[in-house]
Amino acid sequence: MGKLSYVKRAIITAACVALCVVLPMAFHAIPNAGSIYCPMHIPVLLCGLICGAPFGLLCGLLGPLASSLITQMPPMAYLPPMLVELAVYGLVAGVMMHLIKTKHLYADLYISLATAMVAGRIVAGVAKALLFAPGKVTLAAWAGGYFVTALPGILLQLLLIPSVVVALEKAKLIPARYTKKRMQ
Amino acid sequence: MSSCRMGYVERNSPLHGMDGLSKLLFLLLFLTSVIVTRRAGGFFLLGIVLLLCAGLGKVPLRTVLGGIWQMRFFFLLVFLMNFAFFDAEHAFFSWWIFTFSREGLLFGAKTVVRVLLAVAAGNIFTAVTTPLAITGSMETLLYPLQWIGVPVRDVAMILGVAIQFVPLFLREADTIKMAQTARGAPFYSRKFSERAGCVLPLVLPVFLSAFKRADELACAMEARGYVRKKGRLPLRKRHLQKADFLGLGGGMTLCLFAIFVF
Repeated sequence: MGKLSYVKRAIITAACVALCVVLPMAFHAIPNAGSIYCPMHIPVLLCGLICGAPFGLLCGLLGPLASSLITQMPPMAYLPPMLVELAVYGLVAGVMMHLIKTKHLYADLYISLATAMVAGRIVAGVAKALLFAPGKVTLAAWAGGYFVTALPGILLQLLLIPSVVVALEKAKLIPARYTKKRMQ
Repeated sequence: MSSCRMGYVERNSPLHGMDGLSKLLFLLLFLTSVIVTRRAGGFFLLGIVLLLCAGLGKVPLRTVLGGIWQMRFFFLLVFLMNFAFFDAEHAFFSWWIFTFSREGLLFGAKTVVRVLLAVAAGNIFTAVTTPLAITGSMETLLYPLQWIGVPVRDVAMILGVAIQFVPLFLREADTIKMAQTARGAPFYSRKFSERAGCVLPLVLPVFLSAFKRADELACAMEARGYVRKKGRLPLRKRHLQKADFLGLGGGMTLCLFAIFVF
C-alpha cells in the first residue's frame, strides 16, 4: 500500500470524500440510518487505511463539510463534533496502518480499524464535553450515542472495510501490502 | 437517489451572477453578525437581510427553510435546556434542579434564532453558488495557509474532483440499486430487517466502482504529467464586478447596523 503515488492517493481521497456524500443518500431508505449505520465513517476509515494519515485526516475534514454543503446533511449545528470525530478516524487509521506490521493483512486492518474507531469516539466525546456542549454530556449519554445506538454501524464497518480493502487488492486497484512469499 | 435535492438551485438572478468569493465573504460576515448581535432588533434586521437575499436570488422559501423541520427536536432541546438551567437571580420559580427565569427564556430564544438564521443563510448560499464556485472561493480564501505549509491547491483540487465525482457515483449507485432490485433485493420492503440486509450488496459494488473511476482518473492525470508545482495558475482568473462590491458593501452596512444600532 506504500507504493501508491501522490496523485493516486489524492484522487482516492477525492473519491472517498464523494462517497461521504453519496453513501448517506443510499442509506436513506432506512429510517434513522445516519446514527445507526454511520455511513459516512466507512469512506473516511477506508481512506485512512489506504492512503495514510494526512489524506485520512483531510478526508475526515472534507467529507462531512462537502456533504453538509451539497445536501445539508449533517446540518451545520451537528457539523463541528462530526468533523472532529471523522478527522480522528482518518488520522488514527492511517497512523496505525503505518505503525502496525504483523505480516497478516486482516490483523493489521482490524487492529488499525478498532483503534481508530475507539480513538475517534473518545476524542469526539471529550470535544463535545469540553467545547461543543459543555456540561450537557454525561458518560451514559456518550456511551449510549457512540456505542449502543451505533452498534449495527460498528459491526457493519468491521465486516465491510477489511472486505473492501481485500477486494481492492484483488482487483489490483491498490498495491498489495504483503506479497505471497512474505505472508508464508 | 438521483432525485435527492442537491443544494444548488439554477436561476438567472443577481445573486447567481455574483462571484463565489464575495458570496462566501458575505456569508462569513453574516454568521459573525448572527453570533455578535444581542438585541431583538438586530435579529429582526438580519432576518430581513436573509429574506432580501432569498428574494434577490429567487430562492424558494422551501429551500431557505430546508432541513429546519428535521432539526425541530434539536431546537426544542436547546430552548428547554437554556430555559430550565439558566443561572439567573430573579427566577419565575425553581423546582429541584430546574430554575425557570425570564433571562433563561430570552437566552434560549436567542440561541434558537441564531441557529435558525445560520442554517437559513447556509441554505441560501448553497442555493445560489455552484459547488465548484464554492471550492474556488475557498481556495482563494485559504490561500494564506500556504505560507505555513498547508497544501491549499491540493486540498482545493481534491474537493473539486470530489464534487465532480458526486453525480457520477449517484448515477452508479442508482444503477446498482436497480440491478439488485431486479435480482430480488427488497430495497422498498416495509420490514426494517429486509431493507437493512440490502445495504451490503449495494455498498461493496459502489466502492469498487468508485475506486475504479479514481484509478482511471489518477492514471490519466499521471499520463498527462500532472505535478504538484508551486505557482500553478488557476483555471479561471477571478474578476470582481461592480455588483460584487455593491452587494458586499450593502450587506456589510446592514450587518454593522444589526450589530451596533439595533
